[in-house]
Amino acid sequence: MILRKTIFRTIKEKKFQYAGVIVLLVLAVMLYVSLSMAISTLEERNNAFTDEYKQESFHLVAGQDLETQQMEEWERAYDVTLEKRFSKDVELGEESTLRLFTITEDVNRPYIGEGSMPKTGEIAVAEVFATENEIELGDSVDIGGEPLKVSGFVYLPDYIYMIKRQTDLLNNPEQFGIGITNERTLDNLGGAKQVQLLGWTENGKIPDGIQTEISQEVPVLQFVSSGENARIQFVESEIEGSQTLITTLPLFILALSIAMVLMLMKRRLELQRKEIGTLMALGYRKKELRNHYLGYAWFIGLTGTGLGLLAGAGFSVPLSNIYADFFNLPPLSMFDWDPMILVIGLLIPLALLLALTAFVISRTLRTEPLTLLRPKEMASGKKSWLEKLPFMNRGSFTTKFRLRLLARNKARSLYIFIGVMFSTVLLLFGFIAFHSMERLVTTTYEDIQTYDYAVYYSTLQTEQTEEGASPFSMAEITVGEDTKANLYGIQPDTSYIQLKSDEETLNPELSEGAVISRPLAIITGATAGDELTITNGISENELTVEIAGVADLFIGNALYLPKDQVNEFLGYPQEAYTAVWQDGEPQMSDRVFLVEDKQEVIDSFESTSGATRNTVAGMAVVAVVIGMIVLTLLTNLIVEENSPSISLFKVMGYHENEVSKLVLNVYTPLVILSYFLSVPIAQMSLEQTMNTLVEETGFLFPTDVVWWMVVVGFLTIVFTYWMSLMLSKRKLKHVSLQEALKKQQD
Amino acid sequence: MAIHVKEVHKKYQSGEVQIHALRDATLEIPDHKIVAILGPSGSGKSTLLNVIGGIDRYDSGSILIAGQQLETLKDHQLTDFRRKYAGFIFQQYNLIPALTVQENVEVGKELSERPLDMEDILTKVGMWDKREKFPFQLSGGEQQRVAIARALIKNPEFLLCDEPTGALDEETGKKILALLKYVNETYGTTVLIITHNQGIGEMAHKVIKMSSGEIVESIDHEHPIDPEKVTWS
Ligand SMILES: Nc1ncnc2c1ncn2[C@@H]1O[C@H](COP(=O)(O)OP(=O)(O)OP(=O)(O)O)[C@@H](O)[C@H]1O
Ligand SMILES: [Mg+2]
Repeated sequence: MILRKTIFRTIKEKKFQYAGVIVLLVLAVMLYVSLSMAISTLEERNNAFTDEYKQESFHLVAGQDLETQQMEEWERAYDVTLEKRFSKDVELGEESTLRLFTITEDVNRPYIGEGSMPKTGEIAVAEVFATENEIELGDSVDIGGEPLKVSGFVYLPDYIYMIKRQTDLLNNPEQFGIGITNERTLDNLGGAKQVQLLGWTENGKIPDGIQTEISQEVPVLQFVSSGENARIQFVESEIEGSQTLITTLPLFILALSIAMVLMLMKRRLELQRKEIGTLMALGYRKKELRNHYLGYAWFIGLTGTGLGLLAGAGFSVPLSNIYADFFNLPPLSMFDWDPMILVIGLLIPLALLLALTAFVISRTLRTEPLTLLRPKEMASGKKSWLEKLPFMNRGSFTTKFRLRLLARNKARSLYIFIGVMFSTVLLLFGFIAFHSMERLVTTTYEDIQTYDYAVYYSTLQTEQTEEGASPFSMAEITVGEDTKANLYGIQPDTSYIQLKSDEETLNPELSEGAVISRPLAIITGATAGDELTITNGISENELTVEIAGVADLFIGNALYLPKDQVNEFLGYPQEAYTAVWQDGEPQMSDRVFLVEDKQEVIDSFESTSGATRNTVAGMAVVAVVIGMIVLTLLTNLIVEENSPSISLFKVMGYHENEVSKLVLNVYTPLVILSYFLSVPIAQMSLEQTMNTLVEETGFLFPTDVVWWMVVVGFLTIVFTYWMSLMLSKRKLKHVSLQEALKKQQD
Repeated sequence: MAIHVKEVHKKYQSGEVQIHALRDATLEIPDHKIVAILGPSGSGKSTLLNVIGGIDRYDSGSILIAGQQLETLKDHQLTDFRRKYAGFIFQQYNLIPALTVQENVEVGKELSERPLDMEDILTKVGMWDKREKFPFQLSGGEQQRVAIARALIKNPEFLLCDEPTGALDEETGKKILALLKYVNETYGTTVLIITHNQGIGEMAHKVIKMSSGEIVESIDHEHPIDPEKVTWS
């Protein structure tokens, strides 16, 4: 059809408007496709690895070696697969720790990605750890004076998220990694050997009573189900948590871009009323005309989704690589991502765009050709309900003109409002995320936990601690029905932990009751003054405590009480403790179960903050681009639609600046209003999201809005708005008197 | 193909008042003739032309063209009727600004199963040399020539022209009239011309005068004069 040519010529003429909506569409599709591809790759690999390599359903750390015969009895009694695994933490160089495991066959089977299974005198290590520590295949590494050859790169199903301690938030493959070797090699190395019992059941559930029975035979230092195992669970909560992001964010942008397309379409149909009427009179059928106008939607849709798919597919590669650094998953399947993503990414936006555009077109096409051929009743003929409000007719001419402009362009004003809001929310999400890392580190690790090392013992200690060390008792408890938490019995006068809430230190409040961490407060819904009932998993003791306060601890479910009270509850002797906080570097000994070096934790935060910075920068760019497109598009349309009045003002002798003030600056208060409304909305919606996620992740990102965010956000939005005004002002310059006359003549 | 209009009524409701735009209009338009419709503003000329051309409906009466009773046709059948038989020419030309002269004519050509030759038509209307130009690069008279070519190329049975010279000066206007006459003679197209301009009646085979929605007079000219000699008013 020859009419098709008009589409391309119109788009070429209004290239900025169409490019704007296309970019919005590209952004939506790209975000959806890249995030979905990366996440579904993660999911597929995780599922495949979990199933095929028999990821544990639970594991326990035993205080002594286990008898094979005993294990076989349990296996029969509880219909479970059990396997014993030894491990040792060995130092590699100055900084890094390698956790070596013996090779298992039934549970948590290692996957060798490259190279081969280690034989005696050999080890296989995690690939990221090798990369970070500049270890290559075939290299010989020195472990405690023992040269061991690296035979391969290994993945373990229970170390997908490779963290040293369960409570760690971030992994740091430079400082900590895992490896496997055979039992003989492990025995030859120095240091304490840990005994683990790995359990696997068909349905992933822990058989009832197995924990109690085992703990009657051997001391159980730790019992962890896969559901509470951060090394396993983290990837799952990442997948689940991302699902919302994958769909909501792109959907929002999609909705915005479709709204913009429809607006352009309406405008186009408005401008071409006469053309449509003429074509109808000539004998063009409605279907033909509808298909013709759908051409715009096809063009925008196909270009937008096509480019979006390409960009998304391309972008998913670096995104997947980021995930690969976080989660150690072997590439088990060829097609890692779901091809439906491409279908959805292409079809949904296209179908929505076409259907809604068809709807808008059909409204015009239902009009009689004669009506279309007649000049449209001037908009001034019909007053909008807003204009009938009394205050609309007060004030000077310019005020009235501006108010009228706002009233007549209700939809435009609304979109400006929404556009600014969307950008602001996105921008603030970035800022808050950026800031919360810092805040999390400073409050948790500098203000509250003032110690340098925490030393956990494998048995109860009673001897006097060294000078400058503060003993505490720690145990796993259940709060309420089924919330797992760590109970800390601390010396209320200790200087190593300052339970702070804002600036107030809650340590003295411990005599009144318990102090809990933020995640626990959110999960249980408890605040100061409420009561919580805690039970001890092993002795089944029960205790009801009143909450004295909630400390700004953002990681983990923790409950703090005075040590005496905890010891009594746990049935420990008065003077006993299980761990100490201290500043001096601890001596390693057989009694020591685990040492937490706080500097290491802080370092790992620092090392990941680069990734966060990039994410934040990316989000800010997306926010600004979206804001700029939406605002420019709208101000452009406003100039276009008001060009008769604009040229009239010009002829009357108004200067361009005055005209732009009259026409464009009308929206400034709206932009500012929208911004300041969006700040609390962003804060609240993010807080809400974090609160819903806390149960799965076990940590809470602080979502406070700080003054600099408000200022920088404001400046960014104002800058964006100003830029869009600049772009539209150029258009305003080109509005001529001639144009106005021509329009009136039509 | 003659046009038979019989006892056609058309009313408009405009707020409180009812306007009788066509009052018992009865009329025969013979084949291959030029017919001028004269009358003061608001007398119903455009309304008559529009119902004949099938872009407007009427309340009662009947219009028979090419064996089709227009009041019995559904909307899409009416569209097909226009597509096949009618060619419209408007006072404001209504060309598509984004298309060149030739492309604008192409828009009409695509509607026909047996269109006329593009070069031939554009040469006849004197626009072949300017076929690459866009409407905004043309004068009013030139635009109207293109509009005529667009209506003509699908080889319609009749051309419906609502004040085709209304926006043109005498010299250009007369050229358009000459072109319409030429079309009528060459292709045998029936041409209906609405005009305020009494003089234009002189070049028509038949003149119909309207007043307040009624056809008040119908005059046949045995020997219509040459468009050049029309007294312009
Ligand atoms: N859509 C409409 N709604 C209401 N009244 C209408 C409508 N269209 C036409 N009329 C009225 O019908 C009458 C006939 O109109 P018509 O357009 O046929 O007049 P005309 O003879 O073509 O006038 P002119 O020479 O000014 O074009 C007029 O009184 C006009 O006001
Ligand atoms: Mg008229």
